[in-house]
Amino acid sequence: MAEVILDRVNKQYENGFHAVKDLDLDIADGEFLVLVGPSGCGKSTALRMVAGLEDITSGTLKIGDRVVNTLSPRDRDIAMVFQSYALYPHMTVADNISYGLKIRRMEKAEIDRRVKKAAEMLELGALLDRRPKQLSGGQRQRVAMGRAIVREPQVFLMDEPLSNLDAKLRVQMRAEIAQVQHDLNVTTIYVTHDQTEAMTMGDRVALMKAGVLQQVGNPQFLYDNPDNIFVAGFIGSPPMNMALAQVERDGDDLVVVLGRSRLPLPAAARSERPGLDAYAGRQVAVGIRSEDMEDARLVRGADERSRLRATVSLIEALGSQIMVHFLLDAPRVVTEDTKLLDKDAHAEEAPKHDATKFVASFAPRSRVRAGDEVEVVVDTERMHFFDPTTGDAIR
Amino acid sequence: MAATDTLPATTGDETVVRLGGAQGGWFRQVGWRHLVGLLALAFSLFPILFVVSAAVNPLGTLSSSELVPTGASFENFRKLFVDTAFPTWFLNSMVIGLLAAALSMFVSACAAFAFSRYRFRGRRAGLLGILLVQMFPQFLLIVALYIMFAYVSDLWPAVGFNTRTGLLLLYLGGALGTNTWLMKGFFDTIPKDLDESAKVDGATHAQVFFGLILPLVTPILAVTGLLGFISAVNEFLIASVFLTDDDAKTAAVGLYGLVSEERNNNFGVFAAGALVLAVPTVALFQFLQRYIVGGLTAGAVKG
Repeated sequence: MAEVILDRVNKQYENGFHAVKDLDLDIADGEFLVLVGPSGCGKSTALRMVAGLEDITSGTLKIGDRVVNTLSPRDRDIAMVFQSYALYPHMTVADNISYGLKIRRMEKAEIDRRVKKAAEMLELGALLDRRPKQLSGGQRQRVAMGRAIVREPQVFLMDEPLSNLDAKLRVQMRAEIAQVQHDLNVTTIYVTHDQTEAMTMGDRVALMKAGVLQQVGNPQFLYDNPDNIFVAGFIGSPPMNMALAQVERDGDDLVVVLGRSRLPLPAAARSERPGLDAYAGRQVAVGIRSEDMEDARLVRGADERSRLRATVSLIEALGSQIMVHFLLDAPRVVTEDTKLLDKDAHAEEAPKHDATKFVASFAPRSRVRAGDEVEVVVDTERMHFFDPTTGDAIR
Repeated sequence: MAATDTLPATTGDETVVRLGGAQGGWFRQVGWRHLVGLLALAFSLFPILFVVSAAVNPLGTLSSSELVPTGASFENFRKLFVDTAFPTWFLNSMVIGLLAAALSMFVSACAAFAFSRYRFRGRRAGLLGILLVQMFPQFLLIVALYIMFAYVSDLWPAVGFNTRTGLLLLYLGGALGTNTWLMKGFFDTIPKDLDESAKVDGATHAQVFFGLILPLVTPILAVTGLLGFISAVNEFLIASVFLTDDDAKTAAVGLYGLVSEERNNNFGVFAAGALVLAVPTVALFQFLQRYIVGGLTAGAVKG
């Protein structure tokens, strides 16, 4: 076990492509860090640099007390789980798991002990004599995990290990990997493009975009305090609703003009974001999480002014909540970040520029139906504000 | 798979299951395939029958009109082994053929591994160069090689004219190009994740190559080995220039010597020699056949 420290690590390919830019990360001993981001953001490259499968162009990489920049993968004392599992097809499960130990000329008895222990942990006991070809996807995934576990390395590296599994199995393996990591308490770097995995598995989440680290912190902190539009849009499902609004002064107070509505900004929210005063009279990007909206009929004594009015276009009943889709009459936020997010989500361009799709999550008691006119109460204290040009959070 | 075993009449091989139905239907669906198969068989067996017939023909002529000639005997085989240096020639052919096959397999595998797995300056140029060199016919080489080996024979006779080693070297060089390309294509189909996984597991380059990649490319190794053996045993042009001593000749050169002087007379012996020479090739093919099966890499990665 060891800490992993990346200090201004860069990766630039010979063709000039700058895959990772000045990456700084301190990963504590035993921590589960999730590197997340859309495809092509450099997260896998970063992981492969830690593994030693890619050269580091500049910067320092430390595992434990050692600078390992120039060490080969075999000397770094790491174990890696690949997206494709990369099981050796001509070997049995037992041989696959013990390969790394045999190559290090470990004693036979110790190898057997470790393989047995790992097989027990991952419930692979009955499969040890099979070949990878004879295993299901989930079983192959377990073998790949077993191969990493028996090494008892200082660091686990996992490169999208669950993305080849079907949805149900993914949820199950997600919990299993988190459990195994917790039991073994081995420093782990886990790469994924799935924000749900990032939120549920990581002690901390590091979000990358185009080779640059955007924000790192515990998942809930990132969810509640996104540093910029990209983080806000990437973390959370459904993604944060965002629209352009105008900040105006109303006497001593600030009012957020969002479409037809004028939402008063509570004093608490304003004191938390002193920077907002400077935006009076200017445009901002407002972000509202779906759970911070509710059917006005269900909220007793809700402020008459803190409401959005719209026509419901679609209802998704999830049992525990109802996802209510509506079109808000405020312009969409369009920046490089939102374009990238749309592309990553394979979302189509919205038809109109002066309207924005919103998704609110109502309590199931709400009886709204598609086509209804609905009044939506917004928890104005929990609104997020971003500069529409830079994309940075206003604080 | 059980499913394909019970499917009738789709593959046209011998295990076809005949289903009930109209009589004409069977021929249209299955029967014609047998007919085509028989035709192809007759076409390919004819020359072999012809050679067998000539080999047992005591007159040593090719113009016999019967399949089984009058007075058929093994006299030609006796002559071949007793009156000529064929045993030596045969041994030469086998030694050169097997060594050329094994060595070129190994050398090409090394080269293909490098070309497939590493990125280095000159990689593209090297690959193209190898391909380009292959495009020139061997005839062009002969003169240059002859002059080179004339010097080599003076300075270092052990690899000069009339030696197995010298000829072996030539064959290795000749086979390298095609085999490297063939193998590189196959190596490219082995996922790179496997190498990387092994490297992280602690394997060295050599361990990755011998322990992981080679076992996975056995089909192409078998193919190149077989091709290398066949081409070395059958090669005539270079061998005929380089081997002039009777003891140094390969079977191809030696047998040619039997028929080159007096036309028609020795064809019986020649045919007998050709048959004997075919035995090891067929045997090797039978032996390697089991390795020439694909699908070894299935299950390596999710698929």
